[in-house]
Amino acid sequence: MEILKATSLSIGYDDKTVVSDINVTLSEGDIIALVGPNGAGKSTLFKTFSTHIMPLGGKIELFGKDLMSYTPKERAKLLGIVLTERPDDMFLKVFDVVAAGRYPYTGMFGKLSEKDEQEIKVSLELVGVNNLIDRVFNTLSDGEKQKVMIAKAIAQNTPIIMLDEPTAFLDYPSKIELFSLLKKLAKEQKKAILFSSHDLELLLRYTDNLWIIAKNQPFAAGTSAELLKNDVIKNYFELKDADNDYLLKEKM
Amino acid sequence: MKNSRITLGIIGIIVFGIILFILNLLIGSVTVPIEDIFKVLLKENTDNTLSVIVFNYRLPQALTALLAGAALAVAGLLMQTLFRNPLADPSMLGISSGASLGVGIVILLTGAISGAAVSSFGWWSTIGVSLAAFIGAVLVLFVMLAFSSRMKNMTTLIIVGLMIAYLAGSITDILKFFSLKEDIHAFVIWGMGSFSGVGVSKMPVFAASIIIGLFVSFFLSKNLNILLLGEMYAENLGLNIRKNSVVIILVSGYLTAIVTAYCGPIAFVGLAMPHIARFLFKSSDHRLLIPATMLIGMDMALVCNLIARMPGFDGNLPINAVTAFIGAPVVISVILKSRK
Repeated sequence: MEILKATSLSIGYDDKTVVSDINVTLSEGDIIALVGPNGAGKSTLFKTFSTHIMPLGGKIELFGKDLMSYTPKERAKLLGIVLTERPDDMFLKVFDVVAAGRYPYTGMFGKLSEKDEQEIKVSLELVGVNNLIDRVFNTLSDGEKQKVMIAKAIAQNTPIIMLDEPTAFLDYPSKIELFSLLKKLAKEQKKAILFSSHDLELLLRYTDNLWIIAKNQPFAAGTSAELLKNDVIKNYFELKDADNDYLLKEKM
Repeated sequence: MKNSRITLGIIGIIVFGIILFILNLLIGSVTVPIEDIFKVLLKENTDNTLSVIVFNYRLPQALTALLAGAALAVAGLLMQTLFRNPLADPSMLGISSGASLGVGIVILLTGAISGAAVSSFGWWSTIGVSLAAFIGAVLVLFVMLAFSSRMKNMTTLIIVGLMIAYLAGSITDILKFFSLKEDIHAFVIWGMGSFSGVGVSKMPVFAASIIIGLFVSFFLSKNLNILLLGEMYAENLGLNIRKNSVVIILVSGYLTAIVTAYCGPIAFVGLAMPHIARFLFKSSDHRLLIPATMLIGMDMALVCNLIARMPGFDGNLPINAVTAFIGAPVVISVILKSRK
């Protein structure tokens, strides 16, 4: 089922267009990597989807309705984000961070119901860090923090989860673990997952669907095999013919 | 087990507060014997002098300290969470400086214009000073609000606040240059801070204003908790960042403005008390931190008032000298701990 759809979307700040003519859809169970060099507009697209900034042109639909027609509270139940930014409070506990994901569902004083508490525990279990529940968030390793932030997004219970550079501070095994976690979420929970990365090699190996953003090039979307075959990846990342052939062969 | 620790902590702070409150009634240049205090309070005592001392001076002063301490501490907590900066407090937004400028204009210009020191106007001067402080604080507050709704970046807002504080300070200094000596003296005294200015007559208005502000702050706890994750996350969770910032600044500024108008600029209570609450309860949950900070602020203000009034100082020790003495080490230890 189609969840998010962008049509001739232009993104950027004030009058400076970063990328234009973006036409993409995000459906249930999708796991899509947004790839491109730093500064090409990955974060700008994320900020536009999460309504932190307004689109400069075109439209974004969420379940067939204009994204801006939802109230902030409604949107909070439809789209969850995981950023590279981390909370740095001295006493904030893992439980508190994940509990924040329940914010759109609680009342005036944020009192958690039994169902909320249950969701928090299930989310932590799903990412495999339920043993950290009473720890102070600030004392965790980068990988653990990443997982807790993902648990927050799971507790938020949204059909879409967007992750900005989720592999950035992780070592190689943690990166692989993260990809399998994202796959599990897409498959078992029917979530649509969009994440950004500039680690092309890793993406080609572990994901199938790519959106490519590059400076001065049109926005491209497709499966990694397609994009390799029609030379999009080769042109965008300035690969040598031999490298492209090697990657294509590996993908086949 | 954890909940019992919290309950125990809260009860401890309250009991400590009650003891301090009674000590505030007993100790001063005239010591009220402990066995007499209850008679006085229950109006069974016919000794007029003691009754006057307790009811007209010590009780209102202790109540003022209690309310001002709670208000300043909560105002500091709101600022620290909003700006995600452990060193934020209402004076950072220039609010205290705005109040000082207001008072400066009234005290310093009256003499320069009319040729008579403001103190010679008696009762009117007290009202004028409180009103001027409030107007000055509220004006700066509105300037800051105008900036905060235009800027999403909180660091820029702190810098603007500090610059406004400097500007207000320098205007005050310029005013001093043209003023009468007595007026400068009166202004310096106001600047030292005191809990004795409210008295019996102004207590109802002062107390009601503070209690309203404190009451409203309880409703901010959920949004403050969400802000701890950072603005982008808070926004994604459905929080309207700008509206929320405006409300928090308004509540914090209002509390500071009221206290400064009546008691003068009192430093360190707003800065240090939230840290004590956090470290004591090892929590960042504002549903606990707001009441805890309030109670600790009360205790702190009562301690400071008591020290300032110790026999020997004759009530002449400025409150700010005492708050700094207690507050500064707290802030230093927090900085050292958080840098680890």
